[in-house]
Amino acid sequence: MSEVDMAVIKPEMMKSYIWLQTADGSIQQVEQEVAMFCPMICHEVIQKGMGSSKNYAISLPQRVNPAMLSLILDYCRFHQVPGRSNKERKSFDEKFIRMDTKRLCELTSAADSLQLKPLVDLTSRALARIIEGKSPEEIREIFHLPDDLTEEEKLEPLKNTTDDPRIRLLNRLYAKKRKELKERQKLKNVEVEEERVDDRSVDDLLSFINGDNGDSKGIKTSKSKKKNRRRKDQQKNTSANEVLKTHNKELNGLNSVCCSAEVGQKSRGGVGATSNLNDVEDDIFTSKNELDDGDIDDEIDPALKEKIDREVEDFARRLNSDWPERMQEILSFGHERKPVHFSLNGNGSLRRYANSEQR
Amino acid sequence: MDDVLAPDLISDLPQSIIETILTRLPIRDAVRTSILSSKWRYKWATLTQLVFDEKCVISSNDRCKVEDSLVKFITRTLFLHQGPIHKFQLTTTHLQCCPDIDQWLLFLSRNDIKELVLELGEGEWFRVPSCLFNCKKLTRLDLFRCEFDPPPSFKGFLCLKSLNLHQVLVSPEAIESLISSCPLLESLALSYFDSLALTIRAPNLKYLCLEGEFKDICLENTPLLVAMSVAMYMTDDIAEHFEQSSGCNFNRFLGSVPRLERLIGHIYFTKYLSIGDDLGRLPVTYVHLKVVELNQVSFEDMKEILVVLRLITNSPNLRELQISGSSNTLAAIDAPDLDFWDDQCPSDCTFKQLKLVKMTDMSGVPHEMEFIKFLLANSPALETMSISPCVYVMDGRLNMLIELLRFRRASAQAEILFIQD
Repeated sequence: MSEVDMAVIKPEMMKSYIWLQTADGSIQQVEQEVAMFCPMICHEVIQKGMGSSKNYAISLPQRVNPAMLSLILDYCRFHQVPGRSNKERKSFDEKFIRMDTKRLCELTSAADSLQLKPLVDLTSRALARIIEGKSPEEIREIFHLPDDLTEEEKLEPLKNTTDDPRIRLLNRLYAKKRKELKERQKLKNVEVEEERVDDRSVDDLLSFINGDNGDSKGIKTSKSKKKNRRRKDQQKNTSANEVLKTHNKELNGLNSVCCSAEVGQKSRGGVGATSNLNDVEDDIFTSKNELDDGDIDDEIDPALKEKIDREVEDFARRLNSDWPERMQEILSFGHERKPVHFSLNGNGSLRRYANSEQR
Repeated sequence: MDDVLAPDLISDLPQSIIETILTRLPIRDAVRTSILSSKWRYKWATLTQLVFDEKCVISSNDRCKVEDSLVKFITRTLFLHQGPIHKFQLTTTHLQCCPDIDQWLLFLSRNDIKELVLELGEGEWFRVPSCLFNCKKLTRLDLFRCEFDPPPSFKGFLCLKSLNLHQVLVSPEAIESLISSCPLLESLALSYFDSLALTIRAPNLKYLCLEGEFKDICLENTPLLVAMSVAMYMTDDIAEHFEQSSGCNFNRFLGSVPRLERLIGHIYFTKYLSIGDDLGRLPVTYVHLKVVELNQVSFEDMKEILVVLRLITNSPNLRELQISGSSNTLAAIDAPDLDFWDDQCPSDCTFKQLKLVKMTDMSGVPHEMEFIKFLLANSPALETMSISPCVYVMDGRLNMLIELLRFRRASAQAEILFIQD
């Protein structure tokens, strides 16, 4: 008991107590003025007349376990004393809030169920301070959040910052590419075409990443093109239809921030893009296809990396202009389709990769 | 501890708490929570308060890039947002006149916006689009560096409680009619207007803050005004205008504010009040006036001294008085009318509640000293009188002290603090 309580226990003074029962069944009595600091308890006492004896103990909400109740009562015990200065209250709060994150969350929940708004504010502020400025991985670790979003979903909202986003982006794309390569080798498709396809697609990746208006769009279109290409290979279908579909996808990809991976896979004409306007943001959470490859980031070939760097810088410079003209070009190129892959080069012209000698 | 098995600590808290937490984060961090986990994907999207500034985007030396990023960020946030938006604040030096802002305002006007703060950069001022005037639920409007032109059919913001126009280009009639057509207006701040002549009719107005070049202010209908802070700048044509004016500024300004509790005047405020014919006894007693702060009072101008006296002698419950002097020492040394203090000064007034007096920038000129003497002699409850000499006065300090020592004090517990810097 606090000093206040000790001082008050005199035979002539009958202190009134309120009986509280937590969800686990245990019952305790608490000084009235302390307990009444909680609006929910106050309500129960005044409106329903509960809490006056052990049999009529107020049942506290489930979110309030005995440990949390004890903390909350400490808080109430301090703050219900009217004479304290703001400074005292603030420094008490600062010390009070120092606890591990788990308890902080539990406390927030418990305080909320007791409608103790000042404590909810205090704990919310503390939680906000924990979250602020941290990377998503750090936050997930602190709060044990499952990392259960697909990469496209991660892309869906706004851009988020990472370090060296372009490098990570490229790393992931290359990792993906490598994986695909392995799979294809297993499938034992036509080797020559495959190789050609693979080379080209690697280049395509580069240009799509850096061409047009954005990294993500580049990814999308390149992804869709990749998928298209694969299907084409498998079907050995080089009809104009397929090409047109690719073309459409490109267009749509260029217009949207992100597409879901399904687009690429199913070669749909319409892109299931989920959001907004053009974005040229450099900081972006990379999207992956259904392939998860988070751990291949470091395996990128340094020479390749350097080349990519250079290209990235180069294309980034060109990014900021010629958007309408490029659109025109894409649209106009739709007519002269051949079963080769082309991509939008950063310099505004469409470049066709017909053989593997290019790069 | 195996993280996979550990329970999620936070995602199951009630949405109201999550929103409280997210509201306390900078908007960028709040939006980033959308990639934490599937449960968190849209937790941020229902935030009702969106506060944007340059910290939302990566800073760089390329101004265009920052502008671009900021525009994109805001547009995308608004686009992904769900539900009503009650507060939208944008503070930036980078954006000025930008068509996206029009679109955002249109979007906000459709989403029950209540508080709108637009602080834009220098340069070409943003012209507020007409959709702003359709925001029926607006309770707070802060505009910095904008052009504001209400359409003729505009009937006012019926819910507006707080209006702050800072460097806003708007015609005086428009401001007047805006103020009078917002019946719930409680707080009004107008700053940096050029030569504004304004009549304020705001039956619910409690807080008034004016700063700038005001030619003429008349508080015609502000019975509930509780606190005001006025800083008036002077230009040549305003001074000229003053010379020709005949109405009593004091009455026009302070004539109908019976509930005033705090009055703060800066720069030329006292001078402004001193202009015009003195109509004798003030019709109103400032029963609630507790704190008066008047800066840059020129003690060589008898009229300004009279303004101060008039104010404090009509405030029986005055608790705190702060006066800073701005005396032209050469002119003030002559001190004509020094006998005013003995002859005409009301000697029967007692400042029964005056506890604290602070006189700053004192030059020690005769009228200043007489004023201090007057206060000391008539303040039986005085606890502290602090006097800070003006930095330019080095030699006269000793004399000031000698004089101060002689003054009679009505209050036995008054402490006189002479504050050297």
